Amino acid sequence: MLRCTVKFCGGCNPRFDRGEAYRTVCTSLSDAASFSYPEDGAQYDVLLIIRGCTGCSYLYEDINAAHRVILDAKDGIEQAIETIRQLA
Amino acid sequence: MMTKDQYIESLRKLKLNLYMFGEKVENPVDDPVIRPSLNSFAATYELAEDPQYEDLMTATSHITGKKINRFTHMHQSTDDLIRKVKMQRLLGQKTAACFQRCVGMDAMNAVFSSTYEIDEACGTKYHENFVKFLTRVQEEDLAVDGAMTDVKGDRSLAPSKQADPDLFLHVVERTADGVYVTGAKAHQTGFVNSHEVLVMPTISMREGDEDYAISFAIPTDSEGITLIYGRQSCDTRKTEQYNDIDVGNKVYGGHEVLVIFDHVFVPNDRIFLNGEVKFAGMIVERFAGYHRQSYGGCKVGVGDVLIGATALAGDMAGSSKASHVKDKLIEMTHLNETLYCCGIACSSQGTKTKAGNYLIDLLLANVCKQNVTRFPYEIARLAQDLAGGLMVTQPSEADYRNPALKPYIEKYLKGVASVPTEDRMRVLRLIENMTMGTAAVGYLPESMHGAGSPQAQRIMIARQSNLEMKKELAKKIARIQ
Repeated sequence: MLRCTVKFCGGCNPRFDRGEAYRTVCTSLSDAASFSYPEDGAQYDVLLIIRGCTGCSYLYEDINAAHRVILDAKDGIEQAIETIRQLA
Repeated sequence: MMTKDQYIESLRKLKLNLYMFGEKVENPVDDPVIRPSLNSFAATYELAEDPQYEDLMTATSHITGKKINRFTHMHQSTDDLIRKVKMQRLLGQKTAACFQRCVGMDAMNAVFSSTYEIDEACGTKYHENFVKFLTRVQEEDLAVDGAMTDVKGDRSLAPSKQADPDLFLHVVERTADGVYVTGAKAHQTGFVNSHEVLVMPTISMREGDEDYAISFAIPTDSEGITLIYGRQSCDTRKTEQYNDIDVGNKVYGGHEVLVIFDHVFVPNDRIFLNGEVKFAGMIVERFAGYHRQSYGGCKVGVGDVLIGATALAGDMAGSSKASHVKDKLIEMTHLNETLYCCGIACSSQGTKTKAGNYLIDLLLANVCKQNVTRFPYEIARLAQDLAGGLMVTQPSEADYRNPALKPYIEKYLKGVASVPTEDRMRVLRLIENMTMGTAAVGYLPESMHGAGSPQAQRIMIARQSNLEMKKELAKKIARIQ
């Protein structure tokens, strides 16, 4: 089971519902990954960065994660799910 | 950080001396006229708790290293300045109103950098006093009102030359422990929802105005402070039996109050300027600059809601495919995003102050606010154009709830057949609320006068326009010696 965390970027003018996208990813990967909000000092397998638009660039270097997966559009949800599944 | 509920409970403990409609308000928190403004303010706490928005809503304190609400943060980079504008747009979108907490944030950033430079020049300890105050604000996640605008009396006269000496807030008594002040601050946004008030001088000052060059912070319920709540267009709709559809925005709103200081005590360790007249202008200029940047965020968020409501009104009337409707929505978007461009631009060109926090580019911030004095009016005009006359002629909610009248209203106010008539009424009332009801106070006249009236920006633009350099450019191209 992959240990995953999430950071939301944007929110001032999002092009899609980031919360709904997160829920979709969690549900789709419930057999392969567990998601939680980041905790100080914790080590994660995957950091999922959900950006509200393509203008965001933060990578959250302070979060320890072996892989970073970026989701910045509604039609990128399936790709993000597939990428994380391949890491499992 | 405080949660939304903790914040609301903390306000119940304040003993404000508040009056509205001629009567003392004993419980502002649950008052139906005031509550929507509290809800807007509370959104600044609520969204900070939400992981979806914490990136914009929170920051790391440069004093303690702890996570704090961005509204109590001293901007540590141009990225912080940009995130501030994005946070304000977000809150405008969520409330469609003035959420009031920006004034304190802007005041604190201005006083933080100014006190450092005053101490450097005068050997005073104001910055130490301010950092102590700021640390408590950050640790306890307090709401701070920024109080600048004096009532000003005769505009042609300096503070110390007024017929009535109290028309600018000033020191009336000095003791070993502190000072006593008397005067009034007008248009105080969010004061009723704040724990502390940070007072600043309102204009640049000269020799002779020493008693008026005063900056300090005290609790909003300090002895001697009286508040008189400002009326807003359509405000008593909130007290009517049917107060849902007709108010337009049931949950959120804003407020301003007239704040009277009658011989109010300020302890020494809460004083940040006391007689150093030549630095009054620095505080004013920096606060105004930050606040002019702010409007490139908050008003854009409110504009997003108005554009959305206007588009919905078109959908509901079946007019959304008409080319002129599409074009007007494009124009509204163009105007709104232009304001956002200005907010982002003045932030990205910010610079570090001697105290370490970042200040926006003042020329671009003033250009931003100058546009804000105009574009929301045009956006509102286009919204009213597309909404149609029904926005102001539709029957009241009481009529709609009357069983004898409801069938007529349902039948004759119907637009597109699949859209419930009530939904159409709600959207039109929202547009009314934002362009001429209670929320118009925040979206229109506040855009005109808040953070300084248009002429104030023009003076600053003139000062910073670098005209001599531009003349030299022209001379060189024209081959003039």
